[in-house]
Amino acid sequence: METAQNNEKSNFFRWLAASWKKNSFFSTVCALLVMIVLQTIALGFNYPSFGEWFAAWGKNWINILRNNAGVGIVALGMTFVIISGGIDLAVGSTMVAIGAVMMLLIDGNANGVLSAIGITGVPAYLIAIIAGIGVGVLLGECSGLLIAHRGMPPFIATLGMMKICRSVTQQCMQKISPSVPKGFLAIANTRIGGEIILPILYWLLIAAILYAVSKHTAFGRQVFAIGSNERTSKLSGVNVKKVKRRVYALMGGLVAITAMIQIARIGSMDYANAGSGYEMDAIAAVIIGGTSMSGGKGSIIGTVVGMLILAVMNNLLNLIGVPPFLREAFKGVIVIAAVLLQKQESTN
Amino acid sequence: MKLEMKNICKSFGSNDVLKHVDFHLNEGEICALLGENGAGKSTLMNILGGVLEADQGEILLDGKVHSFRTPLQSLDAGIAFIHQELNLINDLAIYENMYIGRELKKPSGLLDHRRMIAETEKVFERMALDISPKTLVRELDASYKQIVEITRALLMNAKLIIMDEPTTSLTDPEIEHVFSILRTLRQQGVGIVFISHKLREVMEICDRYTVLRDGNMVSEGMVSEVTTSELARFMVGHDVRSDALDLENNRGDACLQLKGLTREPYFRDISLTAHKGEVLGVTGLLGDGRSELFSTVFGAEGSYTGEIDLDGQRVRMHSTEQAIKMGIAYVPRNRKENGIIKDMTILENGTVVSWPRLTKYLFLDHKKQKREFEKQKLALHIKMGAENDVITSLSGGNQQKIVLAKWLSENPKVLILDNPTQGVDVGAKEEIYDIILALAKAGVAVIVLSSEAQEIIRVCTRALVMYHGGIIGEVSGETMNEHAIMRLATGG
Repeated sequence: METAQNNEKSNFFRWLAASWKKNSFFSTVCALLVMIVLQTIALGFNYPSFGEWFAAWGKNWINILRNNAGVGIVALGMTFVIISGGIDLAVGSTMVAIGAVMMLLIDGNANGVLSAIGITGVPAYLIAIIAGIGVGVLLGECSGLLIAHRGMPPFIATLGMMKICRSVTQQCMQKISPSVPKGFLAIANTRIGGEIILPILYWLLIAAILYAVSKHTAFGRQVFAIGSNERTSKLSGVNVKKVKRRVYALMGGLVAITAMIQIARIGSMDYANAGSGYEMDAIAAVIIGGTSMSGGKGSIIGTVVGMLILAVMNNLLNLIGVPPFLREAFKGVIVIAAVLLQKQESTN
Repeated sequence: MKLEMKNICKSFGSNDVLKHVDFHLNEGEICALLGENGAGKSTLMNILGGVLEADQGEILLDGKVHSFRTPLQSLDAGIAFIHQELNLINDLAIYENMYIGRELKKPSGLLDHRRMIAETEKVFERMALDISPKTLVRELDASYKQIVEITRALLMNAKLIIMDEPTTSLTDPEIEHVFSILRTLRQQGVGIVFISHKLREVMEICDRYTVLRDGNMVSEGMVSEVTTSELARFMVGHDVRSDALDLENNRGDACLQLKGLTREPYFRDISLTAHKGEVLGVTGLLGDGRSELFSTVFGAEGSYTGEIDLDGQRVRMHSTEQAIKMGIAYVPRNRKENGIIKDMTILENGTVVSWPRLTKYLFLDHKKQKREFEKQKLALHIKMGAENDVITSLSGGNQQKIVLAKWLSENPKVLILDNPTQGVDVGAKEEIYDIILALAKAGVAVIVLSSEAQEIIRVCTRALVMYHGGIIGEVSGETMNEHAIMRLATGG
């Protein structure tokens, strides 16, 4: 009886070790689970009843997810970009540019472009959102054009876009400070079941859509194909330039949605600092999620898990009182550890 | 320095590559080393260059026995090996390339640029070359790069230079330029082994020839005493056409017509017609421009001059997407780089061309995708595990069939195959030939590009031979034999 139990135990561990070695995504999920357990312990059980503990635990989770929904959406787009063999450094800056356009359109006061011609309220918000997505797609197309048609390395093209977008936005907006009308705030702050969870729902909805796109559409599969072998893809009739342009345009559109959530959530935008570091956090989430930096391999689910690891870890470090300056170092360690694991998998 | 290689044997596993081969070279002599691919030329020269060790036999330099275990030992003995891919760094100056790895230094440890430049100038003078050692290699044309490699060999006091197909990437005037340098070297007593497929060049520059076939030395003698057609026969042995084709009466209307197609520097003024129901071969040596010609026809390369007619309609090819819509299919050469997507599954590799067509309401119709793939899998006898396994789990032959499968689902009018049996074992080769013939019988215009004469003879109704970017001749029926193809391909 005892030996049987032992056997079962060793079988379980053998299975664990084998799965760990064979599949880096498995180890990533394990890492997330471990981190969730630690975070739960750190949160403590010092509550009068299970109900109250559960409420506090849930609230903490909602906070984590809500705070990371914006970057999470950017990371979803970044997954496509990296799978296609590229990179997009411009996301933080384009978000600011898109944000400025949206703010100018929705402002109900003197600064508002639409209110000046008599459009206010919901129609103005709709126009602003559509225009914002339009600007995002357009900026993405610019990067895409440089990369696909001019053969520029994605790093350089998007570095240029990054500098241009933030700088021009700051210059244009230095004397104008549009305000966000109350109605627009509802986009992110409407309470559902007493909690502010709309940003989380947007994130999950987009993740679900992009998962389907990545697995079940010609475009999605072509992104994988060109990331793995551009020449073969071209010789199989894939319009490589068009697909690449669309990948960056999609990224731009998603950045616009993040900008919308950001504005609606906070009610303002800091053109100098908002979104800075988004590109690196998004890339980190994508890499931790098992997407290959050289393209051709990766998944949307992986990126969601990668984002959760970063988010839960940040929360955990916060709970146990690690000073904020040090927290970035942990992010670095996680990224390096993730890539080491993937390396091991590919050599196996 | 006189070189003698006696009774050299070398085998890889059970494969005897060299069987008791003798080779010799006198001072100030240019000797051609001839043979088909796989005849053992490279192995023999790699033994001389210290890259490989012989199983048996000896190497004598001026009567003294040497054995070379590393390329460095061979170089020290005065033997330089210039490979087909040049070993130069484009972004460094000529003189820096000359001394790379053995730079001259001042006592202080800093580089002695002045002396390196002066030494390089001295060698250039000896060769009557008028170029500055400070020129960047990038700025040189292909012949000068070749010459820089030769002079580097001289700088290392080489008495014997092995050149592996030195002219494949050169134009005619450039070749002449390199040849004049070789003549100068011959006068100065340097011995040169000249490996080439181009018999016309051999006749022009070489004194003597040695022909290898299947690891045996089959013939040697003075170049002045043979003709190119005799050399071609020595290389291939005898003429064989193993399969009589009953496609001769199957030829239908003209399907693909090219008129004066040109894209410098790859090919010029190409006119040809491929008919429905025939297998048209296009052959020649490496670098003859046939691959570039047909990837241009497929719309993968962009601009060209001249005209392309498809079923009598004038078309302008600018993308592969468009070519596919018009019913052209293209199986490229170098399967690994151009044919398969290694991170994707067998199913996806076999259907990648059809994704846009298989899209229904924005999403891929996976059921239809599987159904179509299954049909091709049965038709082509593809042996495979699960369709969601990665493509690299298959053998070369089955991978190639997957590449074929992705095209056949599109029911092409014109099927272009570049080196269709590269890296495919003998059994699968025959199967692929059968597939090609069956498609032609069904009315597809099939075009097979290959440098293997046997392959052309086996499957093609007729074949065009290309040389240096132009069509030099056509063979069919009685005239289609290895000998005739080899003679045309070498420019004769």
